[in-house]
Amino acid sequence: MVSYKILIVDDEAEVRSLLDELLNKEGYLSKACANGEEALELLKKENFDAVLLDIKLTGISGLEVLKNIRDSYKKLPVIMITGFGYDEDLIAKSKQFGCFGYIGKNMPVSQIITTFKQFVKKAKERE
Amino acid sequence: MNTAIKENKEIFHKLLDNAGVIILYLDHNENVVFCNKKTESLTGFKHADIVGKNWLEVLFRDKNSMIKKDMLKAVMDDSMKNKRGKDFQGVILDKNGNERLISWSLAPIQTEDNQVEGDILVGHDITEIREREFSLKNIEERLKNILSGIKEYALYVVNLKGNITYFGMGSEAMLGWKKQDIIFKDACILHSLNDTTTNLRSILESARAFGKYETETELVTKTGEVIPVILTVNQFLDPTGKLSGYIFIAKDITERKKLEYQVFQSEKLAALGQLSAGMAHEINNPLFVISGRLEILKGEKLSERINNSLNLINMQADRIRKLVDRILKFSRKTTPVFETTDINETVELVLPLIRYSNHPTVKIEIEKNFEKNIPPIKGDSQQLQEVFLNLLINAYQSMPNGGLIRITTSNFRDLYAQIQINDTGTGIPENHLKNIFMPFFSTKKDGTGLGLSICHNIIKNHNGSIELVSQVGKGSTFTIKLPFIQKEGDGVL
Repeated sequence: MVSYKILIVDDEAEVRSLLDELLNKEGYLSKACANGEEALELLKKENFDAVLLDIKLTGISGLEVLKNIRDSYKKLPVIMITGFGYDEDLIAKSKQFGCFGYIGKNMPVSQIITTFKQFVKKAKERE
Repeated sequence: MNTAIKENKEIFHKLLDNAGVIILYLDHNENVVFCNKKTESLTGFKHADIVGKNWLEVLFRDKNSMIKKDMLKAVMDDSMKNKRGKDFQGVILDKNGNERLISWSLAPIQTEDNQVEGDILVGHDITEIREREFSLKNIEERLKNILSGIKEYALYVVNLKGNITYFGMGSEAMLGWKKQDIIFKDACILHSLNDTTTNLRSILESARAFGKYETETELVTKTGEVIPVILTVNQFLDPTGKLSGYIFIAKDITERKKLEYQVFQSEKLAALGQLSAGMAHEINNPLFVISGRLEILKGEKLSERINNSLNLINMQADRIRKLVDRILKFSRKTTPVFETTDINETVELVLPLIRYSNHPTVKIEIEKNFEKNIPPIKGDSQQLQEVFLNLLINAYQSMPNGGLIRITTSNFRDLYAQIQINDTGTGIPENHLKNIFMPFFSTKKDGTGLGLSICHNIIKNHNGSIELVSQVGKGSTFTIKLPFIQKEGDGVL
């Protein structure tokens, strides 16, 4: 089985390490960074299958990072994740900037993982 | 005739002519022997038209005279018989047919042997005086009418000692006192003691110093109810210009205060909404870490004791998660999707959900009074359903022993669709009513206190209003008003 490589972007170290562990447990490879600038640097150096991107970041916002990724990497699927939960405004904006999926941190963790897996699967099928 | 008069005839004539009143000398047949110049100028008749004629025939030609000729005749006969003077009023007709009201004084003239020779009649024209009196009375009457029509103003006068000397009509309606019960009482009884800066003494002091004083204060009714007012106090001067008291005009601003309070509440809710969103975000992150860590531990082989504890932690974390979810829902800024919505249909959609309520054994009846053909509103049907569902669940929960829910829809003055949800439940104590739409305020043991604040937000986003009237032991009625779609364009929402 091919392991997909996921870039995790979240400004909270505890959330980063948790996502790291959860994804690894599900068989993904992952790398985590704390802000948008770092993420864009990493994308230049390494290949990733998907990005799991927090919306509220220190420095440039998640939506801004999404826009940047969209401009440079047309096909790379980006999945937004946020503590703001199911916010229709944020969902609309994320869609407008070309995100592949949207996950609220307020969902039960098992559901977050399932949803994430479905998004990655769909994205890969589309390729 | 008296010798003295004869000798001084010319002087007398001059005097009589220059008197500002009608002077007639009548013989015992009431024929005019003499009339002065004023008689001519006032009646328009010439000397020759009057002298030698019966005065009644000349001046009381009109059949509708205020005092009929025969009555006058009787007055005069009586005067002659009893040799006594008499005062009376009568309307005469001048030469041009204009009426004039004259106040007459009749004095019999007697000869030296006490025989009545004739009468002296002095007539004072009181037409203008009477008209002035009449119009003053008219004005007074009209002022009275106007003043009694004013309900939101109270007008009263306080003398220099601080006693009430006038208590206008509006005052009775506003302050509950009857004029006769409060007159001459100390005006302090009308003024709230709470507010020391605007107590009566300082108001009077300011009005004395500045001539006029205006302030926002409170008045107290007879029953002790406090009414917010704008009070204007003016100096009351007597005709010589001396300060004799103060005129108080109080405008009831209860309605304005109510609106201000509502606006204040709405703003507070909006601010709380924003705060809640930020707070929810801050809770969600650590909570996600807690739940995520528990999820990771799930696969581990752990002792039963540890597993039980982890389960408990997980359940409690889940409880927080759900609460935060509600907070986020409350604070979400999502713009409602407005569509043409039929209010009766929207309410109908919620009713099946309510039937599967938690109380299978409790008998709760639902009575529907839906007005037909209520015009559509612009609304988000989903959100409105959430509101109705919330209110209906509340109604259910307030009737643990069963009862009746009455749902009434109506067209309110062609302006709003009105939905009323009334229950016969436990009701809400008065001191809780003002907080009922505040987030996190709950009267239920397991309530989050967000349901009604979410309802409030949704209705506010629809440019509508939601109000609650409740009585402990009797039940509660929620009234929602949602504006109809305006005919020109649809810029209303």
